Amino acid sequence: MTEIPRSRWGFALGWIAFSALIIALLIDAQTDNPIVYVRIDLATLTLCTGVVILAAVVLIWRFKRGSEKQLQIEATRIQAQASDERRRFLRRLDHELKNPLTAIHAGLANLADSGSPETRLEALNSVKAQTVRISHLTADLRKLAQLEIGELEREPVDLNEILEEVFMVAEEDARAADRRLNLSIPKAPWPLPKINGDRDLLFLATFNLLDNAIKYTRPGDTIELRAFESGLMVTIEIADTGPGITDEDLPYVWDELYRGHTTRSVEGSGLGLTLVRAIIERHGGQTTIRSRAGQGTVVAVRVPIG
Amino acid sequence: MDTKPKILLVDDEEAIRSNLASFFGRSGFTVEIATDGQEALDKTSHFEPNLIVMDVLMPNVDGREALRQLRQSGNWTPVILLTRVGESTERAMALEEGADDYLNKPFDPHELVARIRSVLRRARPGQPPLSTASRLNSGPISLDRLARRLWLNGEELALTPKAIALLAYLMTHPDELITRERLLDAVWGWDYPAGTRAVDTRIAELRRALDDDPTDPQYIETVPGQGYRFIGTVEAAV
Repeated sequence: MTEIPRSRWGFALGWIAFSALIIALLIDAQTDNPIVYVRIDLATLTLCTGVVILAAVVLIWRFKRGSEKQLQIEATRIQAQASDERRRFLRRLDHELKNPLTAIHAGLANLADSGSPETRLEALNSVKAQTVRISHLTADLRKLAQLEIGELEREPVDLNEILEEVFMVAEEDARAADRRLNLSIPKAPWPLPKINGDRDLLFLATFNLLDNAIKYTRPGDTIELRAFESGLMVTIEIADTGPGITDEDLPYVWDELYRGHTTRSVEGSGLGLTLVRAIIERHGGQTTIRSRAGQGTVVAVRVPIG
Repeated sequence: MDTKPKILLVDDEEAIRSNLASFFGRSGFTVEIATDGQEALDKTSHFEPNLIVMDVLMPNVDGREALRQLRQSGNWTPVILLTRVGESTERAMALEEGADDYLNKPFDPHELVARIRSVLRRARPGQPPLSTASRLNSGPISLDRLARRLWLNGEELALTPKAIALLAYLMTHPDELITRERLLDAVWGWDYPAGTRAVDTRIAELRRALDDDPTDPQYIETVPGQGYRFIGTVEAAV
């Protein structure tokens, strides 16, 4: 549903007020001691009232038709946007499949031609790696589709536990050794409240964000995983001092298969953040990202308590 | 006499049939091929396979329908279903219609052969497998697979659906070492980074509920660095 523009509401209210004023004046004129003295007979009064009512009917009809038109325009716009997104998605999917398939073609050619066992083994491993890559892509796409329709398996989830576990896994990552990782979860006056959600999905969302931070930062950078309670929500933030995201890329980072211009070389399916957003939205939460090129990035997810 | 196990491979994709058939051949099986559910049913009667590997999505009679008809006719030939979508509903259906195991596409053929071997080992000729029983007992444990409920000494335990599904998978594969990756694929339906931790979390939940000491387990044994094994004796409830 689209909103009816405020100017239209104002216009309609103005008309109603004006009509009410005229009717009030006309009725006032019929009393024995009118506030505003207008000399008028009953026939004129009936005629004027009729005109005002007719005008109101015409106005309401036009108003309705106008908003329907507005709705139609909005629906067309949403449709156009959806088909735009679909085209972009197909183009990216095509691109994501093209690369591993090209590598597989090359690997198979090497397997068929080459006599040297080393080259054959290398080709074989490369073909295997590429099929694993495509498998991961299809698994992630499937998970995304499932997230849109499937039921969440909700239970009271201890976020403290999840954050500590995700942090522990990240610390075990070899790339984490030369980055400064900090975890900050409130302990006083009380720990984070429980969330009614799907534990495995919330783990995955947090893991993806921290993994991204490790992936897209450089040795020496600082990464912070922090969480706090704010009102009826819990906010989890993953902040880093990495190279940041350009203004050009920033609006698209949540899109399916989107790869930033400077990050194409980094391994990944391009669905990590899309999954995060889908998971958080299924929990009734929101995701936001702020970034400054050259300074770093902070991703925040907010999920409702309860 | 030919002592090689006979496998009936059913898939509508020629590329999958031919590649898997030759892989099965090299793995020491005799292979017969069918292209849809109806052909599978026809061939089962005269080829008499030891095991059927069947795709779910096929034209005409699909894998699910073929399996239902097979079981209705009292045929308990072990069946491994190849599912295309990792949906839990599809896996639940596999259970209801009496598949012995299932594997999500795409899969590694080595994994499929390993599954075939373990199903063949478990199979009791002419008898329904544990995976077709809706209720399983192991000592004081009683599990209703369809209702997804669990009792210990007659008292119902409150567990998450994932934990119950995990226990159901372990109990239908008793004495078998099952890797965390396989549990993740079978119960969660997909693999994700650090996902095997989710398996550990649910195993811990089960152990707490069943009061099973991991250092001296009665039900679930940890095989360090590999996975888990259900060590209790499992029976189908009559």
